[in-house]
Amino acid sequence: MVFVVPFYEEIVGFLGISVLLSSLYMQGQSFVDPTIRAIAIQSLLITALIVILFLHTDDLNLLYLAIITGVMRGIVFPLVMLYQVKHFRHKLRETGTSQKTPSLVLTGIIIIIIGYAIFKSVVLPYFSNPEISIPFVLLLLGFLLIITRKNSLTQMCGYIQEENGILYMGALIAPGIQLLTEFAVVLDVMGVVIIGVILSAQRDAFKTLEPSDLDQLSG
Amino acid sequence: MGPEFLLLILLGAPLSGALISLLPKKGVEMVSSLVMAAISVTASLIILISEPSGTYGYFYVDGLTRIMSITISAIFLTSVAYSIFYLKRIKESFLRFRWYYCLMNLFAFTMLLAVTVNDLGFVWLAVEATTVTSALLIALERERTSIEAAWRYTLIVSAGLVISLLSVIFVFSSQGTLQFSTLLHQPPKNLMIMSMAVGFALVGYGTKAGIAPMHAWLPDAHSEAPSPISAMFSAVLLPTSLYAFSRTFVLLQGTTTFADLQNLVIGFGVMTSLIAAIIIGHQRNYKRMLAYSSMENMGIILVGIALGGIGILGAIIQIVSHAFAKSAAFYSSGNMVAEYNTTKMSDIQGVIHRLKSTGYLFTLSCLSVTGAPPFGVFLGEFMIMSQAMLSGNFLLTIILAVIYIYAFIGLNRQTTLMVFGQQTNVSTEESSQNSTLSVHDYEGKSISKPKKENRLSILIPMINLGISLVIGIYMFPIFLHAVSGMK
Repeated sequence: MVFVVPFYEEIVGFLGISVLLSSLYMQGQSFVDPTIRAIAIQSLLITALIVILFLHTDDLNLLYLAIITGVMRGIVFPLVMLYQVKHFRHKLRETGTSQKTPSLVLTGIIIIIIGYAIFKSVVLPYFSNPEISIPFVLLLLGFLLIITRKNSLTQMCGYIQEENGILYMGALIAPGIQLLTEFAVVLDVMGVVIIGVILSAQRDAFKTLEPSDLDQLSG
Repeated sequence: MGPEFLLLILLGAPLSGALISLLPKKGVEMVSSLVMAAISVTASLIILISEPSGTYGYFYVDGLTRIMSITISAIFLTSVAYSIFYLKRIKESFLRFRWYYCLMNLFAFTMLLAVTVNDLGFVWLAVEATTVTSALLIALERERTSIEAAWRYTLIVSAGLVISLLSVIFVFSSQGTLQFSTLLHQPPKNLMIMSMAVGFALVGYGTKAGIAPMHAWLPDAHSEAPSPISAMFSAVLLPTSLYAFSRTFVLLQGTTTFADLQNLVIGFGVMTSLIAAIIIGHQRNYKRMLAYSSMENMGIILVGIALGGIGILGAIIQIVSHAFAKSAAFYSSGNMVAEYNTTKMSDIQGVIHRLKSTGYLFTLSCLSVTGAPPFGVFLGEFMIMSQAMLSGNFLLTIILAVIYIYAFIGLNRQTTLMVFGQQTNVSTEESSQNSTLSVHDYEGKSISKPKKENRLSILIPMINLGISLVIGIYMFPIFLHAVSGMK
């Protein structure tokens, strides 16, 4: 039975804009803790959005997707990443990018405008729901976070943001896709491998999460 | 035995190998991996000979599937066998060896799944799963550089593959199904969405295949991984990603946007090969040099896939012969790593004086991967260039010829200097085996006599190089026959 959600479009729009704002907030952080907390909030916002979509469409796949997103990316990953931060005596500050955060927020806003303009003219004419431009822009902002930061935990937040964007888009344009939940599971397994094993090894080997003195890995 | 049963054996063998490897009994991981890889090779050989074609349960089989399956399982078998020799040199490892073999089996399983499964969504899942299974293998030697390479590989490839998931979602959004067998006979319902799906697939799977400019992970991962894993990466992982891309690309064949997409793909292929060909000659690390050579080959294979016609046949021949030749090159490089404990070219001169067989094998493998006749890569490259000429694209023909020549000179000049140059004066302490005999030349300098090399470490690259040679001389009709029934 399809549940009639009052103010459906307004709620979806509001949550979408909140997700974008959380992404811009992350671009502006030079400390790692608030970035991790912001990705947790963003994941929970997307969970709420998928729950609304589930109530609107009555597709059980969306409910499973919401549970996985909320539990893994909203709670488990942020907790594990905050645990990694605790290994360092001082709060983790990104030495490589801390001076540039205002300009990164500006870059983020420019990406939102350009991304939306491209999306509106190239992609949107072929889809019925205009709100899919938000996950597209979210994807680009995730890339921006990965490319501009040196700290592995912040890069990981960028990757999780990309995952959020792609599942958000999948839920909007292809809710009938049976594999969407499986996709989310595999992406999360990937996340577990990265955060749980490789990041720990990196921390132990370098005593920092911003390794930069590896001449052998150039050229 | 029906094709579906054979496919289940093909996939079930490495999966069982992975589970058995974890049993707490010494040596069981090596034996089980070898046996399961051999079973996998046998199953794929029977599939190749019996020529099944069409949909079998969850699987889709055509000529490309059959050829990819035998290539992946054969390289898996030789890599397992070579690991028995190579792992002896590793004193402190990131993983227990039973986990190494378990992940290696799972790595082979995910690649075999990617090339046999009928659903494009599962193809994506399998390709993404190859990252999960192979990331930790890169860090096996527990060096700072190998851990950083594993991190870069995981992050860049995963970020890229998210884009190919967008491609899968777009295909579903347009066609309402992800079954490849259905999609093949279904014209695109929304041509623009499908064209965008191909673009996203190119960027996403291209990241995993080392297509420029998304290739940043490739030289790091190839140079830092243990040699058997580098061989699997270069020989079969990169082509598996190109296979996944080609499955989306082919869906638009015959449509009005296909010519534009062809040009886009050719552009990416040429750019990749050109960048790699220029960089190869300036490398200081021989494993990185081989990695760039793989990138150059993948670019050319991508051009072959985009050109169609005999270009496809050339691309398939190049995939298979490159797989065997490049794995031989990585195994030979593994022998050098084991002996010299370094991957810096400046530290290794005159390999031939110390590791005679390895020196020759490495030289011949490098000649083979750069398209020297009569090896199979030459045949593949020649056919791709012929297709470029047949399609009237003379500029592309000339560019391809320049790339071939540039890569050939760049790689082989470096190899010749390393293998036949004046011998490096290395003390016995630096030798990992401590078995090199030191004598003195007429100037009183210490030089070493050729040492007796491990038979297994010579036999495996020799077999692979031999197969690459046989492909170039005898196996053209087999490839032609396999490809003739494909769309």
